[in-house]
Amino acid sequence: MSGEYNPSPEDNPSFLARRNRFQTALVKFIGKRTPKCREVVRILSQSMDSKLSLTMRIKLRLHYLICAWCQRYEKQLHELRKIASSIPDHVDEFSQDTLSSTAKERIKEALRENLRG
Amino acid sequence: MRTPEKEGAKRAAAAGADPERWVEEHGDCLYRYALLRVRRPEIAEDLVQETFFAAVRTSSNFRGKSSERSWLCGILKNKVCDYFRKLGRETCFTDLEFLDDELSHKFVPQGFWNHEAGPLEWKPEAEVVMHRTEFWETFRDCLAKLPQRIADVFMLREMEEMETSQICEALNISPNNLWVMLHRARMALRECLEMNWFKEPQQEGHL
Repeated sequence: MSGEYNPSPEDNPSFLARRNRFQTALVKFIGKRTPKCREVVRILSQSMDSKLSLTMRIKLRLHYLICAWCQRYEKQLHELRKIASSIPDHVDEFSQDTLSSTAKERIKEALRENLRG
Repeated sequence: MRTPEKEGAKRAAAAGADPERWVEEHGDCLYRYALLRVRRPEIAEDLVQETFFAAVRTSSNFRGKSSERSWLCGILKNKVCDYFRKLGRETCFTDLEFLDDELSHKFVPQGFWNHEAGPLEWKPEAEVVMHRTEFWETFRDCLAKLPQRIADVFMLREMEEMETSQICEALNISPNNLWVMLHRARMALRECLEMNWFKEPQQEGHL
């Protein structure tokens, strides 16, 4: 591989790409001083469960400038949460399983038994 | 002898509660929910039955017919949590290895995304596709691919919206383990949804 890895190639969807010398320098600078994507996704998962420090939040913002992928990842973690938390409203779509009629009868019988005491 | 259960049952009967009608009207819905959480039909059935028993005991607290189902669902949720609490003490965790290397092709050795494999944009957004039955089928299949324990913690956290400290306590795991498991679950589900739903244009048409 020639030279160092380019975290932000020219045609990428991030805000900053290496379109000129100035941007290239900036991309490299940010790439060196913010966590690597592999680490970022771990931190993002943690941010769903506890509050990150201000420093870390700033680092993530900076990282997003050169990395549209991590930014998408964060957005999708929130979408995933929205999806999961609305499962109870969609249980009927989630599966078509039903209580078998024998199971229903058994439960009813148990309830009758219980009511009779 | 008059036990609290019998008292409750009498009150329930007096209040017009009809447990057998509950079984007919809400049984399937509760069963689906339970099955989704515990996966095993026989356990799901037991939990539904326990829910109805508990409902009979406490039916005097219940007011209003419109939310009968959500009242029953609330009871079932507690039953499911109790079930996991018991289970947490009995099983050990062997699923932490899950995904450890499987997603390494997503990243280049330097730790950045492999640009060919980085997250795609989700269009249309989850909000829109949640109205589609097919989407839920995809989601269910993705969830089923997770190791059971990983899926359990994900559902407790994201669906039941339990606090992480509560989950750790209930399942008797360390915060670190929990974070790893949640991270793996999220990563795998995100990936699976992307591959099986958002990447394909199957959301076209019959809405």
